[in-house]
Amino acid sequence: MRAGPSQDEIRRQNLGALLRHVHVHGATTRAELTVTLGLNRSTIGALTADLAGAGLVSEGTPKETGRAGRPSLVVRPESARVYGYAASIEVDRLRAARVGLGGEVLDRRDLDRPRGMDAAETAPLLAGALAEMHRRVAVDALCVGAGVAVCGMVRRADGLVRLGPTTGWVDEPLGATLAAALGIDVPVTVGNVADVAVFAEHARGVAAGCDNVIYLYGDVGVGAGIIAGGRRLTGHGGYGGEVGHMVVARDGTRCECGSRGCWETEIGEHGLLRAAGRSEARGREALLAVFEAADRGDARAQTAVRQAGDWLGFGVGNLVNIFNPEMVIFGGTMRDLYLAAAAQVRSRLNHVGLPACLEHVRLRTPKLGDDAPLIGAAELAFERLLADPLDVG
Amino acid sequence: MSATPLLELRGIDKSFGPVQVLRDVAFYAHPGEVTALVGDNGAGKSTLVKCISGIYPTDSGEFLFEGRPVSINGPRDAAALGIEVVYQDLALCDNLDIVQNMFLGREKRSGIVLDEPTMEQMAAETLAGLSVRTVKSLRQHVSSLSGGQRQTVAIAKAVLWNSKLVILDEPTAALGVAQTAQVLELVRRLADRGLAVVLISHNMNDVFAVSDRIAALYLGQMVAQVRTTDITHSQVVELITAGRSGSLGLAEPGTGHAGNAAGSTDTTSGAVR
Repeated sequence: MRAGPSQDEIRRQNLGALLRHVHVHGATTRAELTVTLGLNRSTIGALTADLAGAGLVSEGTPKETGRAGRPSLVVRPESARVYGYAASIEVDRLRAARVGLGGEVLDRRDLDRPRGMDAAETAPLLAGALAEMHRRVAVDALCVGAGVAVCGMVRRADGLVRLGPTTGWVDEPLGATLAAALGIDVPVTVGNVADVAVFAEHARGVAAGCDNVIYLYGDVGVGAGIIAGGRRLTGHGGYGGEVGHMVVARDGTRCECGSRGCWETEIGEHGLLRAAGRSEARGREALLAVFEAADRGDARAQTAVRQAGDWLGFGVGNLVNIFNPEMVIFGGTMRDLYLAAAAQVRSRLNHVGLPACLEHVRLRTPKLGDDAPLIGAAELAFERLLADPLDVG
Repeated sequence: MSATPLLELRGIDKSFGPVQVLRDVAFYAHPGEVTALVGDNGAGKSTLVKCISGIYPTDSGEFLFEGRPVSINGPRDAAALGIEVVYQDLALCDNLDIVQNMFLGREKRSGIVLDEPTMEQMAAETLAGLSVRTVKSLRQHVSSLSGGQRQTVAIAKAVLWNSKLVILDEPTAALGVAQTAQVLELVRRLADRGLAVVLISHNMNDVFAVSDRIAALYLGQMVAQVRTTDITHSQVVELITAGRSGSLGLAEPGTGHAGNAAGSTDTTSGAVR
């Protein structure tokens, strides 16, 4: 029989909970912390003192409250001093940022990435951007880690990118390459872009407070980040959530993965452009041009968008029936498709979804917009700190 | 999604001379939800909205706000209850900046001068709270804004004044694809903050993208008010154009008056499918 948690474990957990609260919600008064964390005043005082001692938070007097009584001290995250690196490798671009505790972006770099650029070229480019930012950091600042979102399948254990169907990478040790190139001794966590984006929206976006969420992320392909029962669902090796490769049509269109009739051949970039009669075009701009054309009345574009919306509804219906989520978020190109063809998406979803599963599902677009992968990557970087603040600090 | 609707109308009748525009209309809007009000031209959508906002008096019928009966005898009564209407033509002043527009007629004062810093801060907080990132400067004249940005300012104004019910009349008409998307997200965010939102639109896509319930008017009668999860695109189109769709809407012609009017249809999920 296992004994109860030791005092040390409880303290560590409380420190983590307090730090996570100010990290997500920003400056908070001690009085509010006592209420939300359900701890007594002296405990909050002691925890805050520990965190302040480690340089993770600071305390100050609040602005005029206009009410009687001594105002409660405000606990603020030390955003300028404690930071993590975040990077996002997307189909057409690379983004890197230095993010302070509390989620404040302190510095950022956006770079174009030609399609198909391999890891050997991408990693140094990214590391260069990170190193450039690192040179401007004050000496007493504390780096707690780095997180990377990448559009590919990522092995959870070591950040190995197994297959990026849209990046053309096979078995690239991105985590190790970046850690080496960065030259800073911090852990680098790598995650799939959809998994990372759902993490961000769950922490500080539209899905805050929802424990069963599916984030559909579309670029060239389509992937899902899934949170079930409050936990990220990534499967045994970390490769789960590849919903774009659900087979929806036997003997359908050939997919880049080698199979036929995958969902993303109907709703992904290639499928939509092909249906709109623009097979030669590539990229998000080309896709947006199809939505524009449909809006202006181009019949072929309209048919293509409606058809894709119908297919989107089919797949979402399946996912809703399997996972019974309370929210489905449409991100990346799926946002544009959902908003342009919502009538088709919902009509189909209402047909295929089981009434009980449909009852409480909310369909939403991301609150963090296209920044979700980057913000989520920063959250990955902070994860270790929030789990055990004093160990890292 | 709460049990009591924020606004509930029962048996509203309205005639202009010999023409009866609204006939025994029932309508409700819940906090935290977007209720789409759809109907063909001349179905009575605008008249209904003007009755709610106190511009037109009703001939008969009951108003309940937060479960209590109220009487709305003018726009001031509606505003006092927290009902704000954003009209299609937006009613913004082109020669004023964003902050001035948001506080127009309700300016904050400190002593005898206007309290500009406070107003600017409140406007900035409101826009940030709605995740509006497209506006560069709050001191920009409204004339320099795009259609989508103007719509955003008009909607943010409603939020700034702590309205409980916001009625949007065709907010995406005449907007491009990208701006329509932004306005739709804003409409959804309003409801997610706990406001009751009524969205009037002719665009089925907009209706399905953000609404929780759809209320269909047909020739002055409320033919159905159903959950968006219980209805399809073609059913809504049938309700708008013919007043009925399967078991929804008006009874078969010849059997008398509306047998299945609003209020009773909300629980017909089984029948709709």
